[in-house]
Amino acid sequence: MADVKTAKKKSRDEQGNYIFNRRFEPFGYLIPFALGLIVFTIYPIVNVVIMAFKEKYRLSGRYDGFGLYNFEYVLANDDFRNALSNTFLYVFTVVPIATVLAILIANLLNQKIRGMAIFQTAYFLPMVTSSIAVGLSWRYIFNTQVGVLNWILSVFGINAVDWLGASGARAPWNIVAVIIFGIWNMLPFTIILLLSGLQNIDPMYYTAARVDGAGSRMMFFRITVPLLAPTIFLTMIINMISAFKVYNEIIPFWSGRPGAMNNVYTMVYFIKEQFYSKDRLGFAAAAAIILFLIIFAFTMLQRFVQRRFRY
Amino acid sequence: MRADRIRHFFVYFFLIFGAVIMLFPFYWMISSSFKTAAEYNSFPPTWVPSNWLNLDNFVRAFEKRNFFVYFLNSVIVTFCSVALTGIVTILGAFAFSRLRFPFRNAVFGLLLAFMMVPFEMLVITNYQTVTRMKMVNSLPVLIIPFISSIFYTYILKNFFDTIPDSLYYSARIDGASNWKYLWRVMVPIAKPSLVTIMLLNAISSWNSFMWPTLVITSNRYRTVQLGLFTFMSEAGSDTKLQLAASTVSILPMIVLFLFARRYIVNGVARGGLKG
Amino acid sequence: MHVRIDHLTKRFGDFTAVDDFNMDFDDGKLTALLGPSGCGKSTMLNMLSGILPVTEGHIYFDEDDVTGMPPQDRGVGLVFQNYALYPHMTVLENIAFPLEIKKVPKTERLEKAKEMAKLVHVDTLLDRRPGALSGGQQQRVAIARALIKEPRLLLLDEPLSNLDARLRLEMREEIRRIQLRTGVTTIFVTHDQEEAMSICDKIVLMKDGILQQEDAPQELYDDPHNLFVANFLGNPPINNIEGVIRDNAFVTRDSAVTIRYRNFSKDLPEGREVILGIRAEAAIISRDETHDFTGRIKSRYTMGKEELAFLNLGDQEIRVYLSTEYEDKPGEDANFHLRSKGVFLFDKETGERI
Repeated sequence: MADVKTAKKKSRDEQGNYIFNRRFEPFGYLIPFALGLIVFTIYPIVNVVIMAFKEKYRLSGRYDGFGLYNFEYVLANDDFRNALSNTFLYVFTVVPIATVLAILIANLLNQKIRGMAIFQTAYFLPMVTSSIAVGLSWRYIFNTQVGVLNWILSVFGINAVDWLGASGARAPWNIVAVIIFGIWNMLPFTIILLLSGLQNIDPMYYTAARVDGAGSRMMFFRITVPLLAPTIFLTMIINMISAFKVYNEIIPFWSGRPGAMNNVYTMVYFIKEQFYSKDRLGFAAAAAIILFLIIFAFTMLQRFVQRRFRY
Repeated sequence: MRADRIRHFFVYFFLIFGAVIMLFPFYWMISSSFKTAAEYNSFPPTWVPSNWLNLDNFVRAFEKRNFFVYFLNSVIVTFCSVALTGIVTILGAFAFSRLRFPFRNAVFGLLLAFMMVPFEMLVITNYQTVTRMKMVNSLPVLIIPFISSIFYTYILKNFFDTIPDSLYYSARIDGASNWKYLWRVMVPIAKPSLVTIMLLNAISSWNSFMWPTLVITSNRYRTVQLGLFTFMSEAGSDTKLQLAASTVSILPMIVLFLFARRYIVNGVARGGLKG
Repeated sequence: MHVRIDHLTKRFGDFTAVDDFNMDFDDGKLTALLGPSGCGKSTMLNMLSGILPVTEGHIYFDEDDVTGMPPQDRGVGLVFQNYALYPHMTVLENIAFPLEIKKVPKTERLEKAKEMAKLVHVDTLLDRRPGALSGGQQQRVAIARALIKEPRLLLLDEPLSNLDARLRLEMREEIRRIQLRTGVTTIFVTHDQEEAMSICDKIVLMKDGILQQEDAPQELYDDPHNLFVANFLGNPPINNIEGVIRDNAFVTRDSAVTIRYRNFSKDLPEGREVILGIRAEAAIISRDETHDFTGRIKSRYTMGKEELAFLNLGDQEIRVYLSTEYEDKPGEDANFHLRSKGVFLFDKETGERI
């Protein structure tokens, strides 16, 4: 009825008037939500910033004041550096590999196939099961002596790999095992998002391409991939943000320790260890802020790209 | 036609191949729970346990650790969390979607910005808070910090926003209060969205791991995930027993998924997972 | 119930949606608020229902000043353009909902709901949900729900615009039937002049928040106060011919045609630029040499019982009806009489009737 201009004005006008609720009525609805939010989200955000800049552990002893010491300490810390490099390695292997696999699987699933329910169940199940429980099964699969993976390798004549053990300098296979597990864990979510992206592509593009004589490979690379690109990108960012928080995936393999030789620290593991086991709140807060800044950067990237990718 | 059939063959071949890989850890966990020690440690691996009725591992796991209590704790926590978060989310989403108050949209925008902050950053302070409140080692400590969820409120508000204004005006002109309208009209209409939220919340409650490890040290209040973790960290514990316990621990989620797959998949496709 | 509005004004920021309206809506009558999109007719309706607050002025229901009264206390029934049926309730539950809120006992309210359903002819659909109904059926249910609490005033917002053409005809008759049957004072908003003309006791024609004219449908058609009113009503639309007044006659702007008309006032302002409005049915072909004007036939289209002809009047073009037995070909000149109704002169500048 009303054109856009009046509609916009109308909503502003209605905000100034309280026809349908008393002035303080909304707060009744908001109180429970606000209480929880203030205590467990807003206060902690403020507090973590304060803790990160509050210096308590100068080498000379206790010191009260604000400064960058916590950040200096954390950035120079071997475990944190280890955590940083492991986390980045994890993110930049798991996410691309999971994405490529997910694109292929989503394409296979996006056809008229029988037994869709069964395939969906198979591909999506890891999403609802805990990494701790399933991780135990993977731990058995990765077992050096009796694990299924090493048996498969032996079939191809490859020597047993000490996936979870402490052999070799700094046990390089440890992180590989975490990455494999991570990919498996990430696939369901990624497939679901890409599949829904695929289903949003108008079939008329394919009909038109087929009329023009395009083959299926041509259609995949010239229609599917470009039209799916925004979804692919966004999925990758969301996955990266969650991959930066990798923690649960390393717990079952070494019963809570970070790798066979304390070599698989991740950022979240470092944070947790600092504040929980070592009671160093300032360092934990500084590390958490570094993690947040990384995530924040990726979120901004996502916002930026989301705005650019509008056909 | 022949090309079609070949294509079909490959589609199914790869789908089945992938499905086998995706499902294998589950099969391996379940089947190994029924294995004898010899079968468990054989190489090449024993693909199928000789006796699917061998409940020895389950019995011994439950004897060693009080998984009944853990299970009960997890059920209580999940149930309460879903119910309380559901109610708080409904009320909050309604206020943001339907009611008028100053700075409503600005406040909501700020909340969305808070969603970027990872829980791992809040956890440091939250741990101190619950310690100070003397809430550690209780079940409420596993529920209360998660009751106010910006993410779920956001999803539900978006759904509420799609319900036409005319329904609201119509009900209000007929004399319905906001409260009545919310519960008699909005909530029933938003049922699909609510079910999705509740399912996602149930999954994340059940699988919640890091927070419980921080705030629960007493055996009485351990959840299933925590039980598994302490079980695996115990020196000399038998890994077959751990797998048996794991199998039991994931059953509720598998059942949930089988019954509510569509809701969960649609929910994830629309809103993404929490986190 | 009699509704009176007094200097009613609605502003959104610096945009005036309804500008200083004074008007009466008579008891038991069906009144249409008519006008193009954005003319303020829905705003007016929403102020009457109480959904929108009033900026200035007053609304009276009989003797009560309801200007600041909350919507739920006004005793109005409102039917929305999209019907606003509750998708999760059955037809019966939907109709009974207003009574449910009033805490009317269940048996009583269901009884009443069935009665209303019978009135609007949906009594065979009681257990269906709105999703399983056609647009017309949804409309009936919405009306029943609005009427069940026996409102003092029934308001309908674009009630027919979501229906297809055939249902629209059927439903407008239905609205009239139900309104006459219940005798409830009814105001409905529409942008469709035909809808308003066909069933209303009175039409209120608005444009840009300003009242153009309020009158009975035939009055409005036969006696438009300005060019906008004349143009808004009628199908085919009225012909507009630009020209000037010379010697108490109308002369087209290129001086090609002069029209003398017996009903013109005797003292037309000499030299004034005007627009002559001629309804298509107001020009009739002349059988003899007497005529009011002459035009050249440009083309003819059959419409069954008659033909629509396009005439050239100098460089301008008008539409008139021709009977099929009249055989002049395109390119030939024809003489026309003007009827006593359907010919109007408007000031070109202001659009006001002269």
